[in-house]
Amino acid sequence: MARRRVLWIFPALLILVGLSIYPLLYSLKVSFVTIQGDWGISNYTRILRDHLLHVSLIQTFIYVTGALTIELILGLFLALLVDSLGRGKYFFRGGFLAPMLLPPVVAAIVWRLIYNPQFGVLNSTLKLFGVATEKLTWTSGEGSAMASVIFVDIWEWTPFMFLLLSAGLQSIPVEPCEAARMDGASSFKVLKDIILPLLKPTLFLAILLRAMDLLRIFDQIWILTQGGPGLATETVSLYIYRTAFRFFNFGYAASMSFVCLILVSLFAKSLFRMLKMSVV
Amino acid sequence: MKRTVTKWGSYIIAGSGLLISLAPLYWLLTISLKTEIDQFASPPLWFHFTPTFVHFQEAFGVNEFGKYLFNSCLVATSSTLIALVLGIPAAYSLTRLKWPKNQAEKIGFWILSNRFLPPIITIVPLFLMMRNLGLLDSPVALIIVYVGFNLPFVIWMMQTFIREIPPELDEAARVDGDSYFGALIRIILPLASPGIAATAIFCLIIAWNEFLLALVLTQTESSMTLPIGIASQVTQYEIRWGIMSAAGVVATVPVLIFSLFVQKYLVRGLSMGAVKG
Repeated sequence: MARRRVLWIFPALLILVGLSIYPLLYSLKVSFVTIQGDWGISNYTRILRDHLLHVSLIQTFIYVTGALTIELILGLFLALLVDSLGRGKYFFRGGFLAPMLLPPVVAAIVWRLIYNPQFGVLNSTLKLFGVATEKLTWTSGEGSAMASVIFVDIWEWTPFMFLLLSAGLQSIPVEPCEAARMDGASSFKVLKDIILPLLKPTLFLAILLRAMDLLRIFDQIWILTQGGPGLATETVSLYIYRTAFRFFNFGYAASMSFVCLILVSLFAKSLFRMLKMSVV
Repeated sequence: MKRTVTKWGSYIIAGSGLLISLAPLYWLLTISLKTEIDQFASPPLWFHFTPTFVHFQEAFGVNEFGKYLFNSCLVATSSTLIALVLGIPAAYSLTRLKWPKNQAEKIGFWILSNRFLPPIITIVPLFLMMRNLGLLDSPVALIIVYVGFNLPFVIWMMQTFIREIPPELDEAARVDGDSYFGALIRIILPLASPGIAATAIFCLIIAWNEFLLALVLTQTESSMTLPIGIASQVTQYEIRWGIMSAAGVVATVPVLIFSLFVQKYLVRGLSMGAVKG
């Protein structure tokens, strides 16, 4: 019996260990190799002084919290809106989901086509309405790049929030809401006192899943701006990638990965604790 | 009166939301079907242009996209099959076989935590490992890492599907003389087949869309997948909008079709089985 249960799970565990634990240990070893090829902790001391890394950490934080907040609010709003529609509910639901179903690379090139300051459809459409578009540079302007990149994320992933929260709304019993409405409670009060508390587990789950995905953001930014202009949209993933595969400093990239792993685990743990508390 | 106004207001807001969602997709499609002059026309041509398939021919006939497409199909299907073959017995073991208390749950959570590991953290060691094994720029490397990527997902999804099958059914099969393996083949697999199909489709989509690992582990057309091929059109000095959009459309269509098949399981798949839609 004992042999059987282990035997059946053993190949899967072996693969997972080989592709996660072993690489992590290997990476730990590499992280102590300096670019000159010696052993030492200079990679870790450099992390403390590296201004570029600090900038990209802050920008990752801005990106994650900005996109997460707006996607959550917008997704909840759309879920409530579509839930209240009578006819055409399913039509709208299907249409709203479309951006999420695109391969992320394709979503990014779509927006490159749209944002292009000279030939993009966004500026040429705005021109039709008499807007002066010379200064609207979107992803290629230092001031607007971050917001433009976040907007693409919102466009693509609000559907995810919408989908999960719609499912959550459907699992809420109707009776308490109706009873409260009969007693004369306003829609806002019903939302705040009845719907949101019942929706809490789904809300936390959606936040957890989306946050973990946002933290690994790479493809969209890589294709839209490559972290530029200047450093305007540089995030930690891009910085690690560049360090390893453009400057071939594997040791430093590995040590940054480790610090990231610790930060991400701490973040995930506290989110998870909140999630568990909300369900109990 | 007030109710009608709110109702119409809701439809107008929902309609504009729909427009923002879908217009960019429509625009991609038009760019892939337009001649170069029409692509850059100002004011933009939303409807009045003569469609041409020249970019599709150019991408898949003349350029390397045919090869990228083949690589994408090869890598996605093989990694999905391997992940299912390894993952289903593991899920069965965790849900149906007896484990000392809490152990199955602990192993399950460890498996899940692999899923949350951002790929950027393991990308350096995986690259060095594949280089040492001489697998850089080979589809085999991608198949291996995608199996690792999809395995936690398969195990979690299949656990939820197996739990829904009444345990009496496979117990009865075993009383009738079937081994555990026989019970898995004759009872669990047929009953869980819709779940297996949904899980497989999610794995296919995940592998099909994956970008970062493919960017690092592939270098030439002998292993580059469709997303990498599309992205490489951007980083070149001159962006070839037509070819890029045509390839983008081709990369999107299978995902949309597959998503239709799993729409019933979409919520479940996206929440790793935690929410049942």
